[in-house]
Amino acid sequence: MPSSRADWSSKSEELAKLLSRAGLGDQAAFAALYRHSSAHLFAVILRINRDRAQAQDILQEVYVNVWRAASGFDAAQSQPMTWLTSIARNRAIDSLRRANAQPRLHSSHGKEDEDNDVYDDTADDSPGPLELLNQATLARQLQQCMEGLSAPQRQSLAWAYFDGLSHGEIAAKMAQPLGTVKSWVRRGLQALKPCLDKTRSGSGD
Amino acid sequence: MDYSRPELADRLAADYVSGTLRGGARRRLEALLPAHPALRHAVHDWQDRLAPLTASISPQSPPDEVWAGIEATISRRPVVVRPARRKHWWQQLLFWRSFSAFATLAAISAALLLSNPGASQPPMIVVLNATEAPADAAAQGIVAASFVASISGDGRAIVTRPLTKVTLQSDRALELWAVPPSGSPKSLGLIAADGATVVKRDQLPAGTAALAVSLEPPGGSTTGAPTGPVLYVGKLGT
Repeated sequence: MPSSRADWSSKSEELAKLLSRAGLGDQAAFAALYRHSSAHLFAVILRINRDRAQAQDILQEVYVNVWRAASGFDAAQSQPMTWLTSIARNRAIDSLRRANAQPRLHSSHGKEDEDNDVYDDTADDSPGPLELLNQATLARQLQQCMEGLSAPQRQSLAWAYFDGLSHGEIAAKMAQPLGTVKSWVRRGLQALKPCLDKTRSGSGD
Repeated sequence: MDYSRPELADRLAADYVSGTLRGGARRRLEALLPAHPALRHAVHDWQDRLAPLTASISPQSPPDEVWAGIEATISRRPVVVRPARRKHWWQQLLFWRSFSAFATLAAISAALLLSNPGASQPPMIVVLNATEAPADAAAQGIVAASFVASISGDGRAIVTRPLTKVTLQSDRALELWAVPPSGSPKSLGLIAADGATVVKRDQLPAGTAALAVSLEPPGGSTTGAPTGPVLYVGKLGT
């Protein structure tokens, strides 16, 4: 499982080499970069945009953009996995914006019901966002950071970050006022910040 | 708003990176990034903090057709063009050879123009001509065209306008750069492909010798330097 901070960093070193070669136009290196990172990016995109066909299109666009921008990647500035993940997340969030402008489609389910839980029509064996946060927490020994958050802060942050839900969507799911949800997410992030920074400096990057 | 204020930059960046900043607000922040280093650094820091959390998501192998699509797109670029991509365009000797002849003159006239905000200077018009079009320009949905930029006499406002219709894919953006006689270009922000854009700056960077427009991802370059091909270049003072 690529779930520890150390794995993230060591994988990053390898990816940084591949990225710099891709930046010089080396397609074989780029193919290797794709093999090493695409399953992660696809999973990240799929959690945000659950339409598989759209997620595939997004993944394709992401890598075409990465190929074009590879020469501008600065390994001293960012870890490749962080860079790649951020590009993929941005594209996935942007795709939600477009999708929301039209009536939302769930390709495999005919009826759209506002009261349906988002997870009613998703693969059953995939962990919920809160579980993911807990896994990541354990993996990165951030238990104490997470414990500093209240349960609703943790939940709303997980929905926002992993599933790309907007403040409004989270408020609807939790049946809470928008302002309350906004402050949960915001305070949750601010509470996590010093703790995450400590682990960042601790891991030496 | 003063985006160099650390608390504000940090809060906006946290909203942006966590994904809760949406729609127009998200677009606006992306448009601000190229010109606001403090904001850019804050975004970078939050990405650095949060991205590793995604390591807990179980990987999902994409179907082979995705790679086939990527390969087909990136292989379309003819081999001849590739060496040109190896260096940033502003690091290339040829660029500077063609540039050096007028650089001094341009620097002097720009310095005169820019260091003299009190005097009423007429606006300066810069025509940005299409550079060698990227081989996959058609694939990226770009039609070769030129831009014209008018710089106000005090150097505080630049209005850019395409001379012919420029079509751009929705996932690409144009970014305007001030090119100094030496060193890296400085971003002036994103500009519209389909109409006039007013770029307001406290001051055009002193000694700016040319303006350039590059093709970038939607929010503009995240590296502080052009990442995509440079589509248009125009020299000041000619």
